[in-house]
Amino acid sequence: MKKLLQRAAACALLLATSAFGADQLHLYNWNNYIAPETVKRFEAQCKCEVVQTYYSDNEELLAKLAAGAKGYDVLVPTSNAVQALIKGGQLLPLDKTKLPNTRNVDPAYLNTPFDPGNQYSVPYAMSTTIIGYNDVKMKELGLPTDTWAVIFDPQYLAKVKGRVTVLDSAAELFAAAFKYLGYSANDTDPKHWDEATALIKKARPYWAAFNASSYIKELTVGNIWLVHGYSNDIFQANQDAQAAGRKFHILQGLPKEGAVLAVDNMVIHKSAPRPDLALQFINFMLDGRNSAELTNLIGSGNPNLEARKVIKPELLAYPAIFPPKEYQAKLEQLHDLTPAQRRLRNKLWTEIKAGR
Amino acid sequence: MRKGSRWLWAAALVAYGFLYLPLVIVVAYSFNDSRLNAEWVGFTLDWYRKLFADEDMLAAAGNSLLIALAASLVSTVLGTMAGVAMYRYRVRLLPVLVLTPIAIPEILMGVSLLIFFVLLNFTLGLLSVALAHIAFCIGFVAIVVRARLAGMDESLTEAARDCGASPARAFRHVTLPLIMPGVIAGALMAFTLSIDDFVITFFTAGAGTVTLPLQIYSMIKIAVTPEVNAVSTLLMLLTLVLIVIATKVSPSLFRTASETAP
Repeated sequence: MKKLLQRAAACALLLATSAFGADQLHLYNWNNYIAPETVKRFEAQCKCEVVQTYYSDNEELLAKLAAGAKGYDVLVPTSNAVQALIKGGQLLPLDKTKLPNTRNVDPAYLNTPFDPGNQYSVPYAMSTTIIGYNDVKMKELGLPTDTWAVIFDPQYLAKVKGRVTVLDSAAELFAAAFKYLGYSANDTDPKHWDEATALIKKARPYWAAFNASSYIKELTVGNIWLVHGYSNDIFQANQDAQAAGRKFHILQGLPKEGAVLAVDNMVIHKSAPRPDLALQFINFMLDGRNSAELTNLIGSGNPNLEARKVIKPELLAYPAIFPPKEYQAKLEQLHDLTPAQRRLRNKLWTEIKAGR
Repeated sequence: MRKGSRWLWAAALVAYGFLYLPLVIVVAYSFNDSRLNAEWVGFTLDWYRKLFADEDMLAAAGNSLLIALAASLVSTVLGTMAGVAMYRYRVRLLPVLVLTPIAIPEILMGVSLLIFFVLLNFTLGLLSVALAHIAFCIGFVAIVVRARLAGMDESLTEAARDCGASPARAFRHVTLPLIMPGVIAGALMAFTLSIDDFVITFFTAGAGTVTLPLQIYSMIKIAVTPEVNAVSTLLMLLTLVLIVIATKVSPSLFRTASETAP
């Protein structure tokens, strides 16, 4: 016991000294959202250490920073969270002269309403919320995979009853329903909300579950054949299915009606201990090769045009990684709702989940 | 074997099965040769190899252990003092003060501690998490110690005092040995509570401070691999070792007060 204590004390000392010794960049990131080799290369270049902490939800990040947490240099929030952080005065403006690599970013993803002129943020990676499907089963059943109808229309759903899951997220599911009905993903007209609710309620009996976490596994095992899910997850499901030697593929279907796009952005927190390293890191990540390594790892969508040269060719065939030009116009990022709208949506969502 | 005792055995078996089968499955699947871990594929030690090469996970496990050790040590000392005080001095306010941290929702405690630390300009890190854990563990230790004291024969301490022992000495040589099982049980409880706490840790952890629950939770998004089973298995092993040590240190740990009283 005594030895254990000595060791613990030694560890504590070591930790304490290492915290003040070397130069460190504190990155507050999603888990598995940067390739290990990229981190190593940056550490060699800046002669510093990258210390990562993880969050699994934008709300987590916002809550923690709103309460006053400090010590983070670079954060990677989704666009609507960037907007909230700007409003809350939580971010440092970016010194563009230090970020020459911004020119690598596809202009379609710059200067968005979330951060006009990219004063505070630059895009890092993205995902789309689309259709994922088991190619063998869908072919057998003769179902289309390029329309939300297959998720919402009972005429199609009858053939895959109990083999479909949708995301357990009011924002995402309403957005998909709106797109199917021909409205904007950010529609706020109460009449359209009721219409979408009715659509979802009619489709609900055919769905196996509202699932946002284990659907990757269910797809891979072959229990579920059709999902409303995130492009990264669907990519992951196919990797796993191939590694497990399954006789089918899990493919991505871009619904012709349009879909939700989620762009994660790099920003610098106002209390960043090392804004200099933060800028150096952001510019480094905007380099084509470094950006491509993440896509090669997790199949994330990539707004970096230079990255295309380094991304594995077989990945370029995934429509969600570089959405075709004509499809980009059909992608919409989600905006935050006002408190009143949020209340209304929660009420409808509760009705939907309760099956009333 | 009588009929009644057979039923008792069956009930015990079912209860133990319910308690231990999930743990056995976690351990078994840590040797499963499949990233998905959906069905049994084959035996492998790969996940342990991966675990020992995964600096993030090891650092998180190390932090968790360090915090749990510190939190259980300090909160055991303070909690024992609080338990004895609650038993001896019938101040109405005392139990309320000691036990409130147990009763208030974790999220409230987490947020208020974070705001408190920020107010003091206290750098968030291992220390802030350890302090927070100590704060919520004290109450649990105090309850266990106090319950143990309630089952103790008060006349033993009085006898020691009659024989001329100072209050401190009577406590050290008579009361403490008698309540030791409670103290150790409290320490183990504090250790367990600290090592698996998520909510309070999430709010009080600073940049770069990752504990095991934080690490595992952030992995849920990208699908949990058997590496998590492997790290859980090692933790279970460690807990088992701790319990064995505890029973060796104090053989009477898991007996009742009346059995240990001379």
